Amino acid sequence: MIRFILHRLLMAVPTLVIVAITVFALIRFIPGDPAALMLGDMATPDQIAAMRSDLGLDKSMPQQFLVWSGNVLSGDFGHSIVSKEAVLPLVLSRFMVSAEIVVVAVILASLIAVPAGVIAAWRQNSLTDLALVGTATVLLSIPTFWLGLLLLLFFGLKLGWLPVLGYVSIGDNIVGGLLYLVLPIMTLVIHESGVLIRMARASTLEVLRLDYITHARAKGLSEQAVLWKHAFKNAFGPTLTMIGLILGNLLGGIAVIETVFTIPGLGRLMVDSIFQRDYPVIQGCLLLIALSYVVVNLIVDLLYPLFDPRVVAE
Amino acid sequence: MKSLLLAGTILMALTSASVARDIVIAQSSDLRSNNPGVNRDGNTDGVILHIVEGLVGYANNGEVKPLLAQSIAMSADGLTYTFKLRPDVKFHNGKALTADEVVWNWNRYMDPATKWTCIKDFDGSGTVKVTGIQATDAATVVMTLEKPSAVFLGLMSRPECGYTGIIARESLAADGSFDKPIGTGPFQWDAWKKGEYIHLSKFAGYVSPANDGKPDGMVGSKRPLVDGIKFMVIPDASTVKAGLQSGVLDTAEISPDLIPEFEKSEKTKVIISQNNGKNLFYIQTRDPVLSKPGVRRAMAMALDLDELVAAASNGTGKPNGSMVSSDSVYFSDIQKKRLPHDLAAAKKELAASGYKGEPISIIANKRGNVPSFPAAVIAQAMLQQIGLNVQIEVLDYATQVDRRRSGNYQIISQSVAPRLDPALMYSFYTGDKDKNASLMWDNPKAIALMKAAYTEIDGKKRQAIFDEFHELMLEDMPGIFLYDMIDVWGAAKSLKGQPVWQSNARLWEVSFDK
Repeated sequence: MIRFILHRLLMAVPTLVIVAITVFALIRFIPGDPAALMLGDMATPDQIAAMRSDLGLDKSMPQQFLVWSGNVLSGDFGHSIVSKEAVLPLVLSRFMVSAEIVVVAVILASLIAVPAGVIAAWRQNSLTDLALVGTATVLLSIPTFWLGLLLLLFFGLKLGWLPVLGYVSIGDNIVGGLLYLVLPIMTLVIHESGVLIRMARASTLEVLRLDYITHARAKGLSEQAVLWKHAFKNAFGPTLTMIGLILGNLLGGIAVIETVFTIPGLGRLMVDSIFQRDYPVIQGCLLLIALSYVVVNLIVDLLYPLFDPRVVAE
Repeated sequence: MKSLLLAGTILMALTSASVARDIVIAQSSDLRSNNPGVNRDGNTDGVILHIVEGLVGYANNGEVKPLLAQSIAMSADGLTYTFKLRPDVKFHNGKALTADEVVWNWNRYMDPATKWTCIKDFDGSGTVKVTGIQATDAATVVMTLEKPSAVFLGLMSRPECGYTGIIARESLAADGSFDKPIGTGPFQWDAWKKGEYIHLSKFAGYVSPANDGKPDGMVGSKRPLVDGIKFMVIPDASTVKAGLQSGVLDTAEISPDLIPEFEKSEKTKVIISQNNGKNLFYIQTRDPVLSKPGVRRAMAMALDLDELVAAASNGTGKPNGSMVSSDSVYFSDIQKKRLPHDLAAAKKELAASGYKGEPISIIANKRGNVPSFPAAVIAQAMLQQIGLNVQIEVLDYATQVDRRRSGNYQIISQSVAPRLDPALMYSFYTGDKDKNASLMWDNPKAIALMKAAYTEIDGKKRQAIFDEFHELMLEDMPGIFLYDMIDVWGAAKSLKGQPVWQSNARLWEVSFDK
């Protein structure tokens, strides 16, 4: 098992190197000079040139990459061009904010959507199935920013139950922190449930058509036993993969939710940094996101044998 | 679940009762740094404005008046400035302001290690060279210049320079690094939760400079009337709107589209305030098509400015074809002149210039609440009426800045931040394009007039320079000035006072109804 984990982590190295090179180059191809943005509209060309030199942007791109990658290997991700903060603590702190929302949302969405999808498959073509599939389709079709705003207007403005904006860390105030997280988590749960219901339904349907399910039923097992003991375990594999992909995607990709609910997470940091052409922060964010994808997928692979013994890590 | 939520909300309300008299305001981005004039943008300037003060500051009409100074005396040759300090000024840490502190601050700013944004404005690289500074007694500072300058005090008062704010030495940590600003302003530094909010608390020992009981730009009455200010970082306009409507926010900039909704609401009101910033069409005078003054003048005559400004500003702006703001003491009758809206004359001038339908592109952006895009769309329709082949290219702001800096554009629909002295405003547009490709107008006569405006100290002579400059601009039409920028802010009905000045939050003399 340890060999497998090490092997997978080693396989992630080329992925991260490719991500690093691509991100490094692409962000520099986008027009826009961080020095000019930093200094404002009154800056002279001399001042901008001096700032570019200070930031090391006057060097060639390969030189810049070598300096940056050398520093990264020694644990120094550089400093933000805009705020001068060290990149690594900055992106890690923002990542933790995003993670506490995303992890809770994905767990809740899975707890709701997986049983719902299995039930929809079990009751295929019934009114229950139709209702669940219809709801799932509607949920995944709603853009998250719109859904977020609707929830904010309803629960925040109209009912006044939940705070409209702001963020309190759970570490500072548990009750306050949780209240601020309810709406963003609810938005993600609603949206992602739609995806997962459809996935769980499709994979369960596939399994329910197999001979061993017919055999189990012929043995006289109850429908409950057939469904949860025999069908679910085999059907859950693809859904687990999807959960992993959603988790990886959301860990760096909830910028819209973070913007609507004023949450200082990783996605918002990255979007702000792109607008400001804050190269070191963009690079740090994307590397962390790539790494989180690798780790989440590794965890999914390690969990797979628990549900499907045919898949053995070795 | 509902009970839990209600209980939590009540708990939060109780927790926040102790800071209920803070003003809560939204800003679109986080503070860049709390070190005045070092790493800044507009939002940073707005926070710093409340914490630090310089020797001088701008009044509403663009005049520079004493702030930490009680009086300013200029020698007859314009080379020596003597600042007598106010005796009633204390830093937030309780220490009294002295001339030695001012000298220490100036030397710190002029030290390249500080990385002060404005160092080039005073070291001789630009228009001013400060040759010396000295504390002649505990309350007197004397500064000497190499050459007379009309903009020396104005440059010191600029937001970009952190208002050349005087801070206590204790603002620096023992190792010399910057810790936090201990200034003399009406509010003092309290807390910064990065990405979330900045909190300032009231400075109980604050004494305003001489005043007539009213706020006046950066001077006048500056009493802190609330316990503190919470600047919340909220980039999304819809969230700001919800925040204002729910009462979580007390005031914030809003989109002009929301004016009717906010005016009708029982909870909110709209605050509209003109500032010295400019909305204009920045023209590349070296472009093959637009290098002909006739084409540029035809464009100006094709624009119905009254209609364009009314539509682009949602009825809040007034046309102003001058580089000088209509609030300025220098906004004379000559500054009010603009080319007439005359389609026949425009077509005639266009034909005389040999225009043959070449494409003209207007660069616009959709950033924040600036009218770049709507102004470009309306202008496109108006310019097409005289046969101009106009297209719009929408870019993100960073790319737009890049294009302007490199001179790679034909027309940019642009908003320019306020500069209260007309000469400083001119320098954004005028100068040698070979040395600085971002500039708009390199007419040698205009450059000479701008330089004269920098050095001429006499007010009447400066007025004559500005008027001549405007007449020359109408002939040459290097850019088309539309209107002075408008701040449109939403606020709680209970908010008293004017919370915005020159696009920045200004929250002294602002309070709530009981």
